Amino acid sequence: MTTAASSAWATQWQSAYRVHGINPELPPLSHASLPAFVHERSEYFAGANAKAKAFTCVVPNGMNGSLTFGQVDALSDAFAGYLRDVLRLEAGDRVAVQLPNSLGYPVAAFGVLKAGCVLVNTNPLYTASEMLHQFNDAGVKALVIADMFADKLPEVLAHTPVEHVVVAGVTQFFPAVPNAVVRLVQKVWNRVLPPIVVPHVRLQSAIAQGRAALGGRSAQGYWQGLQPDDLAVLQYTGGTTGVSKAAMLSHQNLLRNVQQMLAMGAEQMQMHKECVLTALPLYHIFAFTANLLGFYSLGARNILIPSPRPIRNLQRAVENYPITWMTGVNTLFNGLLNEEWFVAYPPKHLKASIAGGTSLHTAVAKHWVEVTQTPISEGYGLTESSPVVSFNPISQHAILGSIGVPAPETDIRLLDENHQAVPEGQAGELWVKGPQVMQGYWKQPEETAQVLQDGWLATGDMAAIDAQGFLRIVDRKKDMILVSGFNVYPNEVEDAIAQLDSVLEVAVIGVPDAKTDEAVCAFVVPNPDHPSPPSTDEITAHCRTVLVNYKVPKSVVIRDQLPKTPIGKVLRRALKQEAM
Amino acid sequence: MLTELETKLLGLMMMVIMLGMGASLTPRDFLIAFRKPKGILVGVICQYAIMPFVGYALAVTLGFAPGIAVGLILIACMPGGTTSNIFTYFSKGVLALSIMMTSVSTVVALVTVPVLLEFYSGQAGISGDFRIPPANVAQVLLVLLVPTMLGMVLRKLNPNVGATIELLGALIGVVVILFLIVTWVPRNHQLLATTPWPVYFSAIGLGLFGVALGFLFARVLRQDPNRSRTIGLETGIQNGPLAALIVTLTFTGETQQQVLLVPLLYSLFIVISSTLITLWFRRLADREALARDAAKLGSRVAA
Repeated sequence: MTTAASSAWATQWQSAYRVHGINPELPPLSHASLPAFVHERSEYFAGANAKAKAFTCVVPNGMNGSLTFGQVDALSDAFAGYLRDVLRLEAGDRVAVQLPNSLGYPVAAFGVLKAGCVLVNTNPLYTASEMLHQFNDAGVKALVIADMFADKLPEVLAHTPVEHVVVAGVTQFFPAVPNAVVRLVQKVWNRVLPPIVVPHVRLQSAIAQGRAALGGRSAQGYWQGLQPDDLAVLQYTGGTTGVSKAAMLSHQNLLRNVQQMLAMGAEQMQMHKECVLTALPLYHIFAFTANLLGFYSLGARNILIPSPRPIRNLQRAVENYPITWMTGVNTLFNGLLNEEWFVAYPPKHLKASIAGGTSLHTAVAKHWVEVTQTPISEGYGLTESSPVVSFNPISQHAILGSIGVPAPETDIRLLDENHQAVPEGQAGELWVKGPQVMQGYWKQPEETAQVLQDGWLATGDMAAIDAQGFLRIVDRKKDMILVSGFNVYPNEVEDAIAQLDSVLEVAVIGVPDAKTDEAVCAFVVPNPDHPSPPSTDEITAHCRTVLVNYKVPKSVVIRDQLPKTPIGKVLRRALKQEAM
Repeated sequence: MLTELETKLLGLMMMVIMLGMGASLTPRDFLIAFRKPKGILVGVICQYAIMPFVGYALAVTLGFAPGIAVGLILIACMPGGTTSNIFTYFSKGVLALSIMMTSVSTVVALVTVPVLLEFYSGQAGISGDFRIPPANVAQVLLVLLVPTMLGMVLRKLNPNVGATIELLGALIGVVVILFLIVTWVPRNHQLLATTPWPVYFSAIGLGLFGVALGFLFARVLRQDPNRSRTIGLETGIQNGPLAALIVTLTFTGETQQQVLLVPLLYSLFIVISSTLITLWFRRLADREALARDAAKLGSRVAA
């Protein structure tokens, strides 16, 4: 392997940093660990303004609850006290947090970190079998779970090392009346609060016990010894490709990535002044690093949305709070652009939006800029890199379709199958090196060896670099379609079809074909607000005008919706299984 | 008749209901709804063209005495009731549409109700003693707009208070009907026993015809089945407590008893028939959702 490929663009990247006022060098690590970071930031912001709100959770009818920086600090300290002094967990023990976006999430997650334990982020929508796998694999000793999902516990607990269960509600820490009203509605109308039949403690009571156990001490004693390279978070990934495995992210990985992310917005992000819309789930690495940690370090107010589906659930939050930033994935932006209330009254304080998770369609990006009159900047990352690898400097003139330049102190290269650098202008697999790259997969040495080599991480994504040094993801390596020996990247075809106004969403996959080995197949969801639904002929005809012949879909399937991951990535794999 | 205190209590509860209705939406919701006025227009037409005519037609064909007839026409001319939002919610209908229809019809009521009431009372040949002065109606509606606006402002200022009031208002809507029944029925069991079947028929039928015609009209205008069911429910469910308030503020004594009869019977039976209709609609909505799933290319949707 050679590093020649990366250095060739180093000058372009430096100039991009210069133009956008990005410091190419990261400042020294200001905190040795995440708990040190949370504690210091909380104290600092609480000291500056004791009333400043750190988190506000908004349910669909607009009811809400908030926590100040001081409250977050005190509550998470108490929860750490509960884990260590009441449950007698030890430093390094794994604690799973399985909560939707809600005020309980930062309290529990920060509490776990302050206890010196390892946080295992868990999707609340997991089935019992997925929970079993994850809890056993990670060796989870204690679990913080949302009451709505506690019905799966009897099935799960007997076969896992989980010894302690803490239960939290979506309206945890709301004022008493809204809390009571929402719980009543959940219980009586929606019937989503199952009786909890396993031994458990409510988060509120755990905090009271922890506070008593601490007896006025801070939780500092639990985390003071932590080193930057100690394991902080087990972040599961690969659910979309096969058996899920955990990326081991250290305190340093995450803290460095926060610095890298903030470098991107240095010019536009102001201390104490930002308000970020968090519609993506915090248990996912994108929102975890960007929203929970990144914006916390700015003293921003985080608007937490427990469930962004249906998308109308965001209406009151967008209406009632001066949102200055938002993070999202293609489907979220697209969904908002198809909501009348959003298009009629886009958030007027918005400065910019950050897209990630999956490729942002050019048509969606253009429409977003038109509607909100603010830039949208696409970044790229993966769980294994905490997640940010590269980003577009925030600008009205962002290069659409590009994932920008590598984050400061991140090196990249593009390699072919023989691990040789590809010739300039060609696509190759993207490899990444930097302080944000994980330590490896938890208890998976073989899997780790496949993707981590000499500190370089193989992303499994095919990328190309243009003359300005800007990266473009061509597609997932394994999603590439081979039509009579020609490479077709689904993203390109999806982008072409998404240009049609009559199309709401589209996904493209390769299906076996007798003549061409593989053929391009498109799944299209019609836009309900468009007067006439698209016909398959129309779609094919449009593709012929913008794509070379072999890239034009051989078949087009019109359907109501597309299978998606919890954060809204389209699951091409599921479509493939259906098509087989 | 209702005592002074009961009338005052009714007025007070009406205020809370309207406060709750106002709190169910923000000024912005209104502006957005009027950007695409078709849905609203369909609702307003159902509310003020179909319903009053049904009421009038029933009153005339069944040959009611003026006291009964005016009560029937009055309830038929009322704007949508806030309880329709609860039924829409349970029937898995389009809640936003229901809330908007109720609100718009209530605001429009300021003009439409006095005009329609006057027109149909005249057509039905109701004489002076039983006529409800249009100015009275407009006055009541105008006064009730104050809590409505206040509710909207509260929702905007403090969503927690707003959403709580919204729920409270919807609950009081049911409480008022119970209150009226409890205070009125025992004193009038004699009257109820001697009330002829056509009166019962019209009190029950008004709501049912409203639901059916509203639904059909929406379907003719190519609204999808779920929206049409919502429009149907919204059309059939009238603001009963408001009618009762107008009657108690206009009439006294024996006349009040008579005029109050149909609005009260209607309010009682609409709760029962709406519940049954909601159960039926809910099943239809579920079945449609299942059919949609089955129509999909496979139903494997990963979590």
